[in-house]
Amino acid sequence: MAVNLPLLSLLTFLPLIGGLIIMFSDKENRAFHKNIATAFALFTFVLSLGLLTKFDASTHLPQFVERYQWISSFNIDYYMAVDGLSFPLVLLTTFLSLISVVASFGIEKRTKEYFFWFMMLETGMLGLFVALDFFLFYVFWEITLVPMYFLIGVWGGPKREYAAVKFFLFTLFGSVFMLLSMIALYFASGSGLPGNERTLDLIRLSELAHNGQLQLVGTAAMLVFLGLYLAFAIKVPAFPFHTWLPLAHVEAPTAVSVILAGVLLKMGTYGILRVCYPIMPEQTKLFLPILVVIACINIVYGAFCAMAQKDMKRMVAYSSVNHMGYCLLGMAAVMGNSNAAHAGLSGAVLQMVTHGIITGSLFLLVGVIYDRAHTREIDAFGGLATKMPIFAGFMIMQCMASLGLPGLAGFISEFLCFLGGFGGSFGGFNFKIWVSISVIGIVVTAAFFLRMLKLVLMGEFNAKWEGHMPDLTTRELVTIVPLAVFTLVLGIYPALVLRLMDTTLAQLIKLVAG
Amino acid sequence: MNQLVLLAPEIFLSVCALGILLGEAFFPNKSKQWFLFGLVALGLAGLHQGAFFFSHAIPGASFFGIQPTLLNEGWVQYAPVFGMVAVDSLALFFKFITVVGVVMVLWLSMDYPEFKERPMGTYVSLLLLATVGMLFLVGSVDLLLAVIALELLSISSFILSGFVIERKSSIEGAIKLFLVGTFSTGILLFGISYFYGYFGSTSMDALFAYSSSGQTADLGLSVVLVFIIAGLGFKLAMVPFHMWAPDTYEGAPTPVAAFLSVAPKAAALGFLIRLLANHVSLGITPILALLAALTMTVGNLGALKQNNIKRMLAYSSIAQVGYILVAIVAGGSLGTQAAMVYMFVYLFMNLGLFSGLLILSNQNGSDDLSTFAGLASRSMGFALGLVILALSMIGIPPLGGFVGKFAIFSAVIGNSHLLWLGVVTAINSVISFYYYFKIVQQMFFREPVHTARVQLSPALMSCLVLALGITLVAGLLPNQLLGWVRNILGS
Repeated sequence: MAVNLPLLSLLTFLPLIGGLIIMFSDKENRAFHKNIATAFALFTFVLSLGLLTKFDASTHLPQFVERYQWISSFNIDYYMAVDGLSFPLVLLTTFLSLISVVASFGIEKRTKEYFFWFMMLETGMLGLFVALDFFLFYVFWEITLVPMYFLIGVWGGPKREYAAVKFFLFTLFGSVFMLLSMIALYFASGSGLPGNERTLDLIRLSELAHNGQLQLVGTAAMLVFLGLYLAFAIKVPAFPFHTWLPLAHVEAPTAVSVILAGVLLKMGTYGILRVCYPIMPEQTKLFLPILVVIACINIVYGAFCAMAQKDMKRMVAYSSVNHMGYCLLGMAAVMGNSNAAHAGLSGAVLQMVTHGIITGSLFLLVGVIYDRAHTREIDAFGGLATKMPIFAGFMIMQCMASLGLPGLAGFISEFLCFLGGFGGSFGGFNFKIWVSISVIGIVVTAAFFLRMLKLVLMGEFNAKWEGHMPDLTTRELVTIVPLAVFTLVLGIYPALVLRLMDTTLAQLIKLVAG
Repeated sequence: MNQLVLLAPEIFLSVCALGILLGEAFFPNKSKQWFLFGLVALGLAGLHQGAFFFSHAIPGASFFGIQPTLLNEGWVQYAPVFGMVAVDSLALFFKFITVVGVVMVLWLSMDYPEFKERPMGTYVSLLLLATVGMLFLVGSVDLLLAVIALELLSISSFILSGFVIERKSSIEGAIKLFLVGTFSTGILLFGISYFYGYFGSTSMDALFAYSSSGQTADLGLSVVLVFIIAGLGFKLAMVPFHMWAPDTYEGAPTPVAAFLSVAPKAAALGFLIRLLANHVSLGITPILALLAALTMTVGNLGALKQNNIKRMLAYSSIAQVGYILVAIVAGGSLGTQAAMVYMFVYLFMNLGLFSGLLILSNQNGSDDLSTFAGLASRSMGFALGLVILALSMIGIPPLGGFVGKFAIFSAVIGNSHLLWLGVVTAINSVISFYYYFKIVQQMFFREPVHTARVQLSPALMSCLVLALGITLVAGLLPNQLLGWVRNILGS
């Protein structure tokens, strides 16, 4: 690049600047808060699109690098860059944040604080995806917690405080172990003497691991791996750490649910791919069989849990547990033959993106119903398709996408995950059995989505809602249509996203399997 | 005799304290002036300490003609005055922290309503005397001097915590502190008498010579050391010697509670770091590790169910001392640095929280959790400031408290094989989230109980802003702080 602007720092901190402007404005000036938030979310989105035009997908090396000395006593740098693994997620984040800000226009209570926390959350998420120094990564990881706590705790449903505390406690419990593991990696990375400095640079650490220079073996290494895995698994959420998720989702306001499902959960899977895989390949391999089993449980158990829900939002939340299971399944393919590994990892990263888009739109659609009826009981409705045809159309489309109908985005990524998982292998462990069991999850997913569609959209219209159910407003359309369009586009032409990550994933597979 | 220059701050503060006491007999009811006088005195003492600091930074510099020597560990050291008071990097750092803490406490005492009718000259002079005790304690290399310094500190603290004689709870807290304090002095002296029996001297040098001679650790000596640690443990509110703390903090005037939560702890920890520099070869590491783990855990669990902010902060300060003990257990230069960094940050964040409490309780006359209710809707900036301090106390980046915790974890993992202690510390951080965020919940999730405009008194606000500034700067640009501490230790 000719110009050396700190583009990624700008991208990361733009939302926060917007948030600060909002903070220093008048409490009563609601329109101003919304406009500023929208403007800055839009700037950020446009900037990320601008980066897309400059992004070189043919290399796995970090791009748009910014590197400044930050804490020299621990040899920690302020190191930001993107590669094919993080860049799709950066785009997803800016896109969903913009959508969610628009979706938040209905908020009337304490808008100033709401948009401040929202913008700060966006900064935290973006920072996490572009940080390549573990310390910086950790800082952003924790920064996302605080705004989320407030967004759930102030603007959420009836049990919001409990949900906010539970969310914070769970995630913090994981992150302190990440911190311990991070420090252990730091001390394992060198002797601290000149020429052999310790480091927390994620790329450097993966090189050291690849060359066998990381002084970490045996039980200690496994403990470090488990510490990292725990933090990421809680976020994913992988069974058995998923219990915070349905509660947080049900209580969170619609737009926050979109962000939570769309981006925050991806931080977990991204962390595993960014930290565990390249830096601790040996431990990752040993863990793969367990990962497959966990993925299988996530898929099947998540689907059955969703089936049992009476509340639409809870159902979608549990479907997230199931969908993130596909992600884990794809990731577990990393030791299979090269085609399977590539398919699996591509599927996993694509699944992160498509799940963000599809589930985000489903939360918005459920929010539409809730705004009108103030209930989300599946049984309380019926025949809505007669009153809200446009809504019904989108609802059917996105549910179909979520259950993996070919031609829509969900199918591609799920197919790739299964393809990879089926070809995955490690040390004679039989992946195929678990992948086959996971297929049950697909069937059940289809079942609960179709059941929900039937009960809500078909049948007799419940006269109780007469006059309460106008079709989608312009604002709702503005938020839902882009997501639906992307669902279709990625379903027909997934290469849009896949081409961004191919080279990087190939390199990642080499680092793990190499 | 020119060695006395090194003790100038202590001597000067003693003279000032006695002068204020005498002066008040002639000029009663001049509380503001006494405050100012105390501040000036402390400021001068602080300047003196600062001059030392910076003379370290310049190689070959001398202070009033006294040359520092570099020890083998890279510590800067002036020869101990009379063989009893070391003036070295470690002592200077903790003295500096102590003086800064007391200056802030004096600021916090400015607008305290319960002090309206009390003789403030006495108050200020007692604070100065306590400071003198702390300054001597930090530098003691002789256990007898340490006892005398501790007594000077303790007796001043008894009177200070019972300073509001109109309130029964204040007296109650003071009596509890007094009983526990005398008891602990007894234990300490008992330990020291055996120490003398072992070494024929009360000087720490004997202990250092023993521990570096490579002899195997002796069980009897371990017991002696445990007695000494227990005696200090009472002052530090180390578990299981912490029972007095919540009651005393609750009853004491809030500024005194703020004082007790930072300054004496800094001094006693500084002394402990010196005493236990070689704890590994003395064979008491397991006991110390256990005490540290207990202190954190009991402190955090005790804080969970408190609804009185002062009691909560008492338990919280017990837990925070536990973290610093972990750094001391980790040992080595990493551990010492971590203890210093954490103490520095803790001083500011804790006093920041106390100033926040004072701003509200001076107005509402209540230390209850509900004092904070709905603060976000009344004064957003103030509420956000307190959120930042609470987050820092938990150890969330990018704030000072996190940098401190990072240093402590680094010391534990990089320097000792006490992984379990690291895990206990980590889990404790999670527990502490729950009660610090009780305050945040009150501020953001509840409706206001008091609706009057929050009166932000300038003295308290300046303390809060200073605390916030340090917390943020130490978190965002920790290089300065970490480098500073590293230079002080010369490693």
